[in-house]
Amino acid sequence: MERLDFDVYEVFAQSDPLKPHVHVFNVLASTPDMALALAEENFFRREGFVNLWVVRRDAIHQLGYQDREGFRKSEKTYRTTEDYKYLRDKWRHYREHPMSAEDRTGGTRDGSVVD
Amino acid sequence: MVEEQFTDQEAYFLERVDRGDRIEAEDWMPEDYRQQLVRLIAMHAVSEIMGALPEKEWVPRAPTLYRRLAITAKVQDEVGHGQLLIRVAEDLMRPWDKNREDIMEDLFTGRLKYHNVFHMATPTWADAGIIGWLVDGAAVITQGMSLSCSYAPYARALQRIVEEEGFHIQHGESICMALAEGTPMQRAMLQDALNRWWPALLMFFGPPEKSQLSTHQLRNIRYRIRSKTNEELRQRFFTKYVHRIWSLGLTIPDPTLRQDPVTKEWIYQQPDWNEFREIVNNHGPRSEARLGLRSTTYQEGEWVRRLISTAHRAG
Repeated sequence: MERLDFDVYEVFAQSDPLKPHVHVFNVLASTPDMALALAEENFFRREGFVNLWVVRRDAIHQLGYQDREGFRKSEKTYRTTEDYKYLRDKWRHYREHPMSAEDRTGGTRDGSVVD
Repeated sequence: MVEEQFTDQEAYFLERVDRGDRIEAEDWMPEDYRQQLVRLIAMHAVSEIMGALPEKEWVPRAPTLYRRLAITAKVQDEVGHGQLLIRVAEDLMRPWDKNREDIMEDLFTGRLKYHNVFHMATPTWADAGIIGWLVDGAAVITQGMSLSCSYAPYARALQRIVEEEGFHIQHGESICMALAEGTPMQRAMLQDALNRWWPALLMFFGPPEKSQLSTHQLRNIRYRIRSKTNEELRQRFFTKYVHRIWSLGLTIPDPTLRQDPVTKEWIYQQPDWNEFREIVNNHGPRSEARLGLRSTTYQEGEWVRRLISTAHRAG
């Protein structure tokens, strides 16, 4: 028996107009239309969607494992609010104990620095 | 498996698995891991496909229109689960240049087995109820464990599957509850179905390991493909369902069944494990008929598959 040929299509669905398309799963099909019909049958027998994409798998390029691993390891808290959590406590402290006028020296009205 | 014999690549793979990392289809994996996965997932896939057939027999005979719609939806879900799992298996089989045609061929020739429960007869509507309630209940106990499987695509497929099984179980509970609350004849029908299915339900989890785990099991546990033994899963089934079954006034056909008050372990009569081997080797009551139906349908659908394959794609 000769082997039949199909392509793998990855399926992406959007559940709400303000949400991004999210990867769902994949289907085997010979045309995009067939992939869309199968995606509906396979993954949306109950829940709804506002839009559906199918993409032939060979059109998707992904990072290799080593690159994914490298990306995962890098810490970037300095790019997030993660490192600034202490500010909340500081603000509470200064609301209750405002800095005094003497504390506010360190600059002059004209901007020149006091030694 | 002697760990010292591993190559660096294998050792690194196991380290990933140990720290709970999930493996993707394109990642490097030991050939043995791939084989264990294909063995498990292809078996699961054909069990879903063959599992649609016992209940399908009740689609035209369901007692009301509502029940017919619900059981049709369930049968369709089971075939859908088969589709998902066959895709997962196919991606793993790609380096071997094999695909779903090989899976179906292995099913028809008996090389690939399917779950013992789907070889059994469904003579009454109560059998359809027991399948939904207790067979799917048993399946969710196994699949719930597999959600933590180290192979990500299988775990992702299972997330979708387990969600739908929730509906299947309640569909089955609803059928059984209606019969339990019904006429003496309906109650008797339910009791008869439970008597028929009880040994098959115990067999579903596979033979107890005692102190000896099989090579396959040891490997699957090492690879974090599975995390519990057959017996642990069966014990969970007892804990979850025995009291519920009793609460409907049903008798479990095992006078020795009891829970040890101290260890909480269930003591029960072993089903006939020789019969189990006969059944899964396609010598069960309905094995031949259902494989015959599946094989005929597959052959009759050949021209459709040919027509929709890429060979006929326009342009």
